[in-house]
Amino acid sequence: MNDPSPHPLDPAGDKNLNAEPASNKKPKLKRSRLIKLLRPALGVVVLLYILFRLYQVLIVQHEYGADTWTRLLISGLIIGGVYALIAIGYTLVYGILFMINFAHGEVMMFGAYAALYSFWAFKLIKMPGDINFLNAYPVIAIILAFIIGMSVSATLGYFLEKIAYRPLRKAPRLVPLISAIGASIFLQNAAMLLFSPQMRDVSNPDILRRGAGWTISVSGSNVILPYTGVFTFVLSVILLIMLYMIVQRSKLGRAMRAVALDKKTAALMGVDVDSTISRTFIISGALAGAAGVMWGLHNGLVYYFVGFIPGIKAFTAAVLGGIGNLPGAMVGGMLLGIVESMGPAALGINFQLKDVLSFVILIIVLTFRPSGLLGEVLSEEKV
Amino acid sequence: MENSIIQVQGVSKIFGGLTAVNNVDLEVSEGAIYSIIGPNGAGKTTLFNCISGFYIPEHGTVLFKGQPLNGRSTDTICSLGLSRTYQNIRLFSNLTAIENVMVGQHPRLQENWIDAILRDRRCKREERESVAEGYKWLEFVGLSEFANAISGSLPYGAQRRLEIARALSSKPVLLLLDEPTAGMNPQETLEMTSLIRSLRDKFNITIILIEHDMHVVMGISDQIAVLDFGNKIAEGKPAEIQKNERVIEAYLGPGGAALANKYRRKKAS
Amino acid sequence: MKTTIRQSIRTGVTFGIVHIFFILIAFNSMIAVMLAKISGIKNPGEIPEAKFYIAYTLLMGLWVGIAALNKKKSLSFGTKILSSFSTGLTVAVLAGLLDVILSVILVKKVFIRDFLSVLSFDFIKATLLGMTPVNGTLATMAFILIGALAGSCLVILNNLKAVQAFWKTLGTWTKNIIGKIQYASRGKYHLIWQLVGIVIVGFIAVFLPTKWGSYWNYVFGMVGLYVILGLGLNIIVGLSGQLVLGYIAFFAIGAYTMALLNAPEPHHLLWGFWPALVLGIILSALSGLLLGLPIMRLRGDYLAIVTLGFGEIIRILLKSDVLTSFTGGPRGIQNIQGPMLFGRPFNSEVDFVYLIIAGVILASFVYNRLQQSRTGRAWLAIREDETVARATGVDTIKYKLLALAIGAAFAGLAGAIYASRNQFTGPDEHALMASINVLSLIIVGGMGNIPGTILGAFTLKGLPEILREFANYRLLAFGALLVVMMLSRPDGLIPSSRPKYELPKETAPDVEKKEASHGK
Repeated sequence: MNDPSPHPLDPAGDKNLNAEPASNKKPKLKRSRLIKLLRPALGVVVLLYILFRLYQVLIVQHEYGADTWTRLLISGLIIGGVYALIAIGYTLVYGILFMINFAHGEVMMFGAYAALYSFWAFKLIKMPGDINFLNAYPVIAIILAFIIGMSVSATLGYFLEKIAYRPLRKAPRLVPLISAIGASIFLQNAAMLLFSPQMRDVSNPDILRRGAGWTISVSGSNVILPYTGVFTFVLSVILLIMLYMIVQRSKLGRAMRAVALDKKTAALMGVDVDSTISRTFIISGALAGAAGVMWGLHNGLVYYFVGFIPGIKAFTAAVLGGIGNLPGAMVGGMLLGIVESMGPAALGINFQLKDVLSFVILIIVLTFRPSGLLGEVLSEEKV
Repeated sequence: MENSIIQVQGVSKIFGGLTAVNNVDLEVSEGAIYSIIGPNGAGKTTLFNCISGFYIPEHGTVLFKGQPLNGRSTDTICSLGLSRTYQNIRLFSNLTAIENVMVGQHPRLQENWIDAILRDRRCKREERESVAEGYKWLEFVGLSEFANAISGSLPYGAQRRLEIARALSSKPVLLLLDEPTAGMNPQETLEMTSLIRSLRDKFNITIILIEHDMHVVMGISDQIAVLDFGNKIAEGKPAEIQKNERVIEAYLGPGGAALANKYRRKKAS
Repeated sequence: MKTTIRQSIRTGVTFGIVHIFFILIAFNSMIAVMLAKISGIKNPGEIPEAKFYIAYTLLMGLWVGIAALNKKKSLSFGTKILSSFSTGLTVAVLAGLLDVILSVILVKKVFIRDFLSVLSFDFIKATLLGMTPVNGTLATMAFILIGALAGSCLVILNNLKAVQAFWKTLGTWTKNIIGKIQYASRGKYHLIWQLVGIVIVGFIAVFLPTKWGSYWNYVFGMVGLYVILGLGLNIIVGLSGQLVLGYIAFFAIGAYTMALLNAPEPHHLLWGFWPALVLGIILSALSGLLLGLPIMRLRGDYLAIVTLGFGEIIRILLKSDVLTSFTGGPRGIQNIQGPMLFGRPFNSEVDFVYLIIAGVILASFVYNRLQQSRTGRAWLAIREDETVARATGVDTIKYKLLALAIGAAFAGLAGAIYASRNQFTGPDEHALMASINVLSLIIVGGMGNIPGTILGAFTLKGLPEILREFANYRLLAFGALLVVMMLSRPDGLIPSSRPKYELPKETAPDVEKKEASHGK
């Protein structure tokens, strides 16, 4: 694009060009024909295998009833929503700065801690009538917890960018990546030292008790639609829609898209690049904070390492959908959640391997579509 | 045409809704200096990219030494004898000048990684020879004193010349130069022009040139092709092109031919 | 004047936040404990006497004072004192506020430990310097201010002409000595000095391990293994520019090959160390190739995440019960037999150190040879600009796969030695962190060169061992170090420099006579 010359630490120089020219394969003609056949052949093999396993599990063995599938689907959608929220954070930052914000999971973790402490504090406030604030005004408590959690994360995101990323904006890609990794390690350990390594239970308000929910009857057994789960999913969708509106319709959104496409020209057109980037980090942080609060409400356990794995999963989801692509992150997140949840059962694989499944899916998708599901197909490079 | 090094037959390159190059034919004979000119956005670099194998044209074929390029990889094409330079200089900026030229020799060397680890005779010989040859090419373009300088730190004109040296070190039979005199002052332009001419004169390298500087183009070209909006609108010797009305209008807009005639009459009087 | 004050206050706010953070993670306690130990107290416990906390506060103030005058050399004396005072005061005020809050917590007996785990009542009392809340707060503020002014005085003193002249003569004197050494080692003497150097280093390398005890042998061995890993990753990331994040997977493959072929469980095989080592290297190289095939079309960050996924896949597979019968499952493999050399067992800890040193020498040798060769230059070209490298005649796919294979082979070597030394190997929860560690060490040390890798390994692996005192804060410091390094020295501690090629002595034949040779 407008990047003049790569740097030793910048692998493969070209930033936005994530696919090789389609037919640059081995020189000898026969070899190239063979290689050209290899990928579709591989694709067919994989597809057949998947169909075979599905057939086995669904038709032949019939191990799981519809109730199990419903349960798995529900939990898949819930976790998918959380992944989507975090994935959006990654993709927003990547779209603008072309860097992986490795510390994003930690931003989510601090949001979760903020919610944890808020709920605790509310629980400690005694109200007349032998009830505490948390249960007296649960809706206000929840709203406050979200505001606090999202603010903490947004602030953290802002300072993270200001201290660890902004000075490195012109550096080759590996440098801010290592800085992000360093920030991630620092934040994790800061949380550990500040809040102790203990795993903490989140005190939900009674109306949103963990585990409780509406009971629906599916093929004879009872399946619980958890209150926390529905809440998480609905809120995720609402936030995603709001974000999409902001990016597509608002002035800030236009500025963000302009900076993402061409920083220098956007600056020449009067866009305050620094402020736009800061605000992107604030938004991405706020979303991660919301995800953290929801995680706390639904999963109940908060500790210093809680952001790490969802962070990696969400990043995988963002890449799966096409990194830099907003709807892609949403789709990727939901898809990953569902695949993780229902995949092992559907393919008859041990549940321990569910992460393996996610990564294998990622590799398969990227093998056939190197820029992700919804990513731009950049088939030929501009010279 | 006898002895055509390269034949472009009905090549079209389409990007989504935009037809960048539309059904272009051209033929360049061995040892010629052939220029492609046209206003900005005419599709010249796109055509270059089709000829050099960077793009696969949607329609048409490119024959190099009689063989179709046919979607071959660019490294194969390079080892067949086609080299190029780039509009925005694309050197290996963090390598030194001589390292850039040594990379250019890559397809002609045979030392492999085992040779490298063992430092056997082939390795030592080829290392020695490629350094020597590197210096020769640097000297040819006048950069031998910068051999160990980081190429990204060289002045602009030197970088352009280094890019040419790198392209030359694979001993190509066809060299594509994309705006070699862009951004140069008249002195540097003159030096570049004589350099290009000497490439053909000394080594019999066929040269295809994209250029905007008309003095250069008219001065050294044997044949010129003019592109406008992806179409080839004229082809011929420099004198013919200069008088071609369509060409003038492509550059100056409608009514340009009349304007040019007026100017010419004024000059004559 | 106003801007100076505003800047000073901003610096003050930053340091104030740092101070609050340090208190909340009990950093002051740790420093106090260290000071107590230095002053001879054997067992200061978690919360030593108040005087050490006072010392901490003074030191903190000193740091603030020195930093306050950073980049302010040109200002007048009066302005310097003013800005130092402003900064110090700001920090003191913030510290005071913290103390006030802490006092309230203490007096009201608010049980805040559930929220912020360090804030036990004893700790708060110590932070208040063992005095009553009011006195403690005021004393803290005073000590910080005093420390700040003292620190600034130090800086001012340091900038006096006399002191600057002293440093300068010291610098010149050192340069002279180095120059004399260089002069003495010129030309053919160079070879002699090199030999002397090698003999000395060799002597140390052979002799020390027998003397300094198991712990240091272990640490030294780890550093050595990380050097090998660093060199391997340098081939992949540093030379050919492919950002691979799951590198440790190849290490695991090497380790598991050694383990599975040399342990009673699960396969009752006893192939011996050396054959298993060779096979481990080969298998790692092959898996490098395997990884390479699907990722050839990926660039940049897509590559990173896929390789990370690959690493995780390997780890999870090794850990799961699914493959237990083949790989030993989550429990890992025990009782791995050690190497034999000329019929005698070669498996004492010292022997392993020698083995690792040999591995490092081998890896460095191969790396060095590859780096300055046609292959190395092809890799660098790919790193610089893959598309153009291709068009310049480099078969990028072949070379990228080669880099992956050779880099993986290095990791396999390290893994096999590791498994044999530890006599145990198993799936590690922290595999991803290990990959990140290797990446960090080559970037912090200086990517692409051997001394940089060695230094990086020492810094990121050796130092934490040396600084065991700081146990809890190690990772915190590690993270901060990474960020600080990237902000200040992104090229690494020892940046790579390009080799210099001199024109060969024989006269080059006339260029004019060269005809253009025709393609192929």
